[in-house]
Amino acid sequence: MPKSGNILVVDDEPSVLVTYRLILEQQGYNVTAALSAAEAREVLSTKKIELLLCDLSLEKQESGFDVIEFGRKLSPKLLSVLLTGYATQDAAEWAEKRGIPILFKPIDIKQLLETIEYLLRNRHEIGQAIGD
Amino acid sequence: MATALMGIRTEGDSPGRRTVAALRLMEAERSEEILPTLLDEIAALGFARALVVNVDMETSELVPTVSVNCSKAFQQRFRASLYAMENPFVQVLHAMKPQVVNGSRKTGPPVFCYPMAFRSRSSCWEADRSGQSECLALTIDSSGKRLQLQEQVCGVCDMHGYGALVAVELPRGHSRTQIATLTGLIEMANRTLSRLFKAEHYFNRMSEMEVTITQMQTVMESMADPVILTDTQHRVIMQNKAAERFFKLAENVSEGRVRAVELNNMLFSAALSSMVVSGTDSSRDLTLVDSFEGEEVLFEAVSAPSYTRDGRRTGMVTVMRDVTDLRGAEEELRLNYERLRAAEEVVRQDRDRLNLIIENVGDPIVVCDKDAKVVLLDPLAQELFGSDKDAKRSPVRLRNQARLDAYITSFTYSFSDRESAPLRLVHPSTKAEIEFDAHSGKIYDERAQVAYTVTVLRDLTAVRRVEQLKMERRILEMEKFAAAGRLAGTIAHEVNNPLEAIKNCIFLLQNQVRTEAQPVYSILKAETERVARIVRQMLGLYRNTEQLSHVDVNSVVEDTLMLFSRQLDRAGIRVDKHLGELPHSVGSADQLRQVLSNLVVNAKDSMGGRGTLFVRTRMHTNGVSERIHILVGDTGCGIPKEMLKSMFEPFVTTKGERGTGLGLWIVKGIIENHGGRLRVRSKVGKGTVFKIQLPVVR
Repeated sequence: MPKSGNILVVDDEPSVLVTYRLILEQQGYNVTAALSAAEAREVLSTKKIELLLCDLSLEKQESGFDVIEFGRKLSPKLLSVLLTGYATQDAAEWAEKRGIPILFKPIDIKQLLETIEYLLRNRHEIGQAIGD
Repeated sequence: MATALMGIRTEGDSPGRRTVAALRLMEAERSEEILPTLLDEIAALGFARALVVNVDMETSELVPTVSVNCSKAFQQRFRASLYAMENPFVQVLHAMKPQVVNGSRKTGPPVFCYPMAFRSRSSCWEADRSGQSECLALTIDSSGKRLQLQEQVCGVCDMHGYGALVAVELPRGHSRTQIATLTGLIEMANRTLSRLFKAEHYFNRMSEMEVTITQMQTVMESMADPVILTDTQHRVIMQNKAAERFFKLAENVSEGRVRAVELNNMLFSAALSSMVVSGTDSSRDLTLVDSFEGEEVLFEAVSAPSYTRDGRRTGMVTVMRDVTDLRGAEEELRLNYERLRAAEEVVRQDRDRLNLIIENVGDPIVVCDKDAKVVLLDPLAQELFGSDKDAKRSPVRLRNQARLDAYITSFTYSFSDRESAPLRLVHPSTKAEIEFDAHSGKIYDERAQVAYTVTVLRDLTAVRRVEQLKMERRILEMEKFAAAGRLAGTIAHEVNNPLEAIKNCIFLLQNQVRTEAQPVYSILKAETERVARIVRQMLGLYRNTEQLSHVDVNSVVEDTLMLFSRQLDRAGIRVDKHLGELPHSVGSADQLRQVLSNLVVNAKDSMGGRGTLFVRTRMHTNGVSERIHILVGDTGCGIPKEMLKSMFEPFVTTKGERGTGLGLWIVKGIIENHGGRLRVRSKVGKGTVFKIQLPVVR
């Protein structure tokens, strides 16, 4: 059963990015992929994105936090999931404060899909806090 | 004697008269009878007056004693001193020659004076036997010279002689015959008197001897020790009551007593014989049987031979002393002495051993008395404190001594039996400060007062160095561990992204694999998942440890158990939980949760189904530091001994495919990062207990 929803995946690792896109498309989502923060911002500014799937560590200067912050500024209702290989306390706290789920790499795909599905299905009830 | 008498013929005299006189004198039994009889006879011869004047040897006075028809005044004429040499009667006595003292108108008729003194032709019995020549009889006979009456004492038998003057008043115109008759009569009387005197002297001596013998017997009888007099054939002559008890057979006595007495006599006789052979004066120990009590009595018999005056041996005098008690006491004394010697030996050995120990302890030892004054220092202690006798002690040593004194004084007067305290002293030669651990104990006397204190100083330098080395090694290990962790983290991280891609690819291919390739695909998928698990674990360790906060250990435990409650329940494992009151620890709750999760999962796996999981938390205080103890135990299969060493190393697992071998390695790493310790105790088939110690930071 095809699933509805525009998802933006951001990861600086091309192979990872491609496979996430393929998996999500396989699930029936409408997926856009971005390799950098700049690219992601471009997409967020031009397309209607409902869910942002963002890796924490991107290029030197920018991080997943910035991308998510950017997206949420454009659209307060934007749903996000933070992906990371470094499970730092900072990241965990940051995400927790905003009600953003955080998934640690290697990611259990089943868990990822469940999380996405849950967020989209309950998007109206879920109020992800707008950060400062 | 009769011949002499026959030669005397006097006028008016008849032989019958002389015979009567001789018989009367001979009949006398006592010396006192002689002089009255003599005067009687003189009177019977027709002489008017006669008297005997005795010489008192003590006063040297002439005293008239017996008289016939003499007036007081007449008798008075004869009173004189033996030294009144002008007195004619005294002159007669000194001359010892009969003489007629002529009368005068004043003094009246002439008087025939005959001096009498002890005379005997045979020497006394003692002199006779001993052949001595000092006998009175001999001295009188041999001397032609004048006699000192006072010296009339026998040099042998001690008989005192006598001196007297027989005075007879002569009628006017007396004849020579009359003088001769008188002389004969008086001489006869004197001989008889001398004989009687001698006999009486012996009688007196016998009586005296009898008294002496009686006294001696009394002395003998009164002696509690047996005294026996024996003759030369060792036959008993005399014995006292105490001796009779052993040697004399009473009448109607039992067979046993007879035998006892006979045996005693034989033993005694044998002892005497051997004593005679061995010497003149000796002693023997002799065991005799008391014939009344039947007890054996040990005697010391001292025998001395007895001799007569002329050196003839007459027998032996034996005095026996009951030494049963004495010998017993001596034996007791000897045994006590032996015991004392043995005890002394033990004490000496103990002391030597103690000295050896003190010399070889290798630590300075100080012994002080009850007043905390040093009484003994071993060489090492002397090195530190010097000697009291050393007048020029270095200031360092004096300072050391002062510190020691302060410590020992406070210990001596404290109530504790033992004490240990740190004591910082300076080494006199290297001037380096040394930290000592002073261990002291008290030695009490029998009144439970402190007699001595003993203090052993333990040099902590070496201990401290070992502790420091241990600490350094631990830090090094932890650094190594941290470095390994960082490396592992970095690798894991680098592997993480490619792995993510691979994993995603496998997921994408899941429905597109041909049936025949499906097994290969399965392996690919499973192995990739395994790699994912390893990476996850490694990253888990690496996850930052800087983020520390106060952690409520009990709530972390509760959370973890809650998380696993369903799993444990399904595996049939009961949870026995007892959480004590704990202060907060500082650390990462996430990491502690990971630690507990790991341990709980391991416990669950080891029990395989059915069992009990024990979880305990408690505070542990040892006076120095406080620690939180967390115990996680199980009743599972346990860990083999050879595994215990390597179980905390990475990639060691017993779970095969299911395990990464990183769980305990990470647990240990986390605990050590928290400044804690992880211990394990395990017994195969019984179970395993992990003990986590975490420091408390207040």
